[in-house]
Amino acid sequence: MTDARSEQSPEAAGQPSQGVRLPDVSRRGFLKGVVGAGAAAAIGSYEVFGVGAEAVAAQDAGSEAPGPASGPTEALSSGDGQVDTLERMRIELLAALQKPAADRRWVMVLDLRRCVGCHACTISCIAENNLPPGVVYRPVIEEEFGTYPNVGRRFTPRPCMQCDKPPCVPVCPTSATYTNDEGVVVVDYDDCIGCRACLTACPYGARTADFGLTYNESNPGTDDRVVGRQTAGQYEMLPMFEYGEPRSREDGESPIGNARKCHFCLHRVKEGELPACVTSCIGRATLFGDANDPSSLVAEMIALPNVFRLKEELGTEPRVFYLS
Amino acid sequence: MTENITRHVDIRRILYALAIIAIVLGIFGFASRLIVGERDVNYGSYVNWGLWVAMYLFFAGLAAGSFMVASLDYLFKVDLFKGTGRYALWATIVTLPAALVLIGLDLGHWDRIWKVYLQPNVSSLLAQLVWSYTIFWVVAMIALVLAIRKSDLWLRVVMVIGLVLSLFVSGGVGALLGVNAGQTSFHTAMLPAQFPLLNLASGVAIMTVIVGFFSVVEPERRTRLLRVLGLSLVVLLTVKAYFLWVDYSQVLYSSVPDAVAVADTILFGQYSWAFWGLQVLLGLIVPWVLFIWPGTAQRPILAGVAGILVLVGLAVGRTAIIFPQLSVPDLEGLAEAFTHVRLTFEYTPSLVEWSVLIGVLGLSALAYLIGVDRLPLFKSRSEAAA
Repeated sequence: MTDARSEQSPEAAGQPSQGVRLPDVSRRGFLKGVVGAGAAAAIGSYEVFGVGAEAVAAQDAGSEAPGPASGPTEALSSGDGQVDTLERMRIELLAALQKPAADRRWVMVLDLRRCVGCHACTISCIAENNLPPGVVYRPVIEEEFGTYPNVGRRFTPRPCMQCDKPPCVPVCPTSATYTNDEGVVVVDYDDCIGCRACLTACPYGARTADFGLTYNESNPGTDDRVVGRQTAGQYEMLPMFEYGEPRSREDGESPIGNARKCHFCLHRVKEGELPACVTSCIGRATLFGDANDPSSLVAEMIALPNVFRLKEELGTEPRVFYLS
Repeated sequence: MTENITRHVDIRRILYALAIIAIVLGIFGFASRLIVGERDVNYGSYVNWGLWVAMYLFFAGLAAGSFMVASLDYLFKVDLFKGTGRYALWATIVTLPAALVLIGLDLGHWDRIWKVYLQPNVSSLLAQLVWSYTIFWVVAMIALVLAIRKSDLWLRVVMVIGLVLSLFVSGGVGALLGVNAGQTSFHTAMLPAQFPLLNLASGVAIMTVIVGFFSVVEPERRTRLLRVLGLSLVVLLTVKAYFLWVDYSQVLYSSVPDAVAVADTILFGQYSWAFWGLQVLLGLIVPWVLFIWPGTAQRPILAGVAGILVLVGLAVGRTAIIFPQLSVPDLEGLAEAFTHVRLTFEYTPSLVEWSVLIGVLGLSALAYLIGVDRLPLFKSRSEAAA
């Protein structure tokens, strides 16, 4: 897992230099990470993708109001003062939450060179939101390109683009889908009539419909066994907490019959937690934060010259950025 | 004349029987949709609109087109069409609910349709259409009542309003698709321009079927009427052929990959048999040839069958607008990124979808037949059919 970028200058790799607080991936750091694998592996290899603790501390100190009671604002750091990217983003998230919602601008950055195509983000999203069969918020598109021997593979996670000018919003006949104060396109499950006009309007295929399917409905029943319909089926009937409201599939009500989509895990963000796809990304390829904070990691990333957005020519102004 | 009347009685019986059989076949689909929801349908999240949406477009077009034809009698007072307005108006009244039932069953939450009335997003074309269809249907009902009461002046006023609405809903459906900039073949100003004409073709075709199968006017006028309706369809089918040509030739010449992919799917892909076999051959060329031939007007049943072929062609045309575009992935590789039966770009309507469509067709036909037999508006039918 040698990172090619460690062999070239940051500028050449399309990343900011050390002074701009980019995750510093060096061979030394990598080796130290391997040595300290016992602890680091458990919490995500702080060393390998660490950032300067001073910068995080400064970020923390810059936030006058305390963070939500549920989360500490001190950065977790390792012995040599390196702080994991996740920690930095978490601290920045807590700082952003102190601002009025309208002053925040959540964006997601996907570094395609770091994505290894493990699909952990897809799965963690499904687990987090208890998604039923046929509903997916964040598939990872796999592509192979080139001609032998010069071939390559690219993995492109595709969450909802949270467009600033979302085509899916004006077509909704009941205003059930709209852009919230924080710029995230959300769905009011109780207002959605399930016409799927928003699915047609989305140029990214980022919305899916919930047709009421369940994983275990055709499974044989076996009492007290984890594989049986009665027992295993209970898991998918547990409520999910999208938009901060518990909803169970047991009663057949919404979100069954609704359009569904990625919402940047707003229910987690509200509690000071990063979206599930961000925390589960083993390569730290998924970054999240407030782009209105000029010192945030995502603000730095989206200013890089190698940043791009999908179907930019449509003018939808996505809030999901890719680094190539 | 006796032979004529006997033949019409026979046709009516056959149509009643077919309508009832269709309703019986539809019970399975209705039951499935109402009991288990959308579990047994084949549309999904990528091909998210299927047979029901396509047929909603068709039936709504039929309703609008029938109203346009009714205006020839009730508004423009064209002598040749005298006495036919009621048949066309009744066609509007029974086909529009068919369209709305189909689109209603397609909704994930049809129980919330009231929200479109009470909390509409006025910028949404879908909301505008729901409102417009509702008003249009009410206007058609008022026109029916005024026609029964022979209130000529008010009927003309209402017909003007209805005619404007019929054009609006026709163009509106085209715009409903056309506003989707991400869907290359939808996103064209051609659709709102084409739909009113295609809907007029539907209205003329259903009128041809009605005149061909039933004695709605005197025999001598009937031949002339069928000739005029037939030639109108020749013109409209020629226009439709031109539309098809410009639609596909422009796309193919442009060589824009996404757009070409849609055209390829229609012309040479999984739906090509429906395009060439049903839409072009059966729905366009055969009726075009039949209506050009003067002898068809003297054979009412043949003219009626040709009218049905035109309707089949128009219905298949609606499916050719909906499915193929949605069968092209928004992003390359999306189809394989996360696989599930509802996340595929291939679509074939399920048994439930066909069953519901057949049932709706049966209900609509039965309502039409009962109306023609029972409504006071049609009491003078036997006089007209002398």
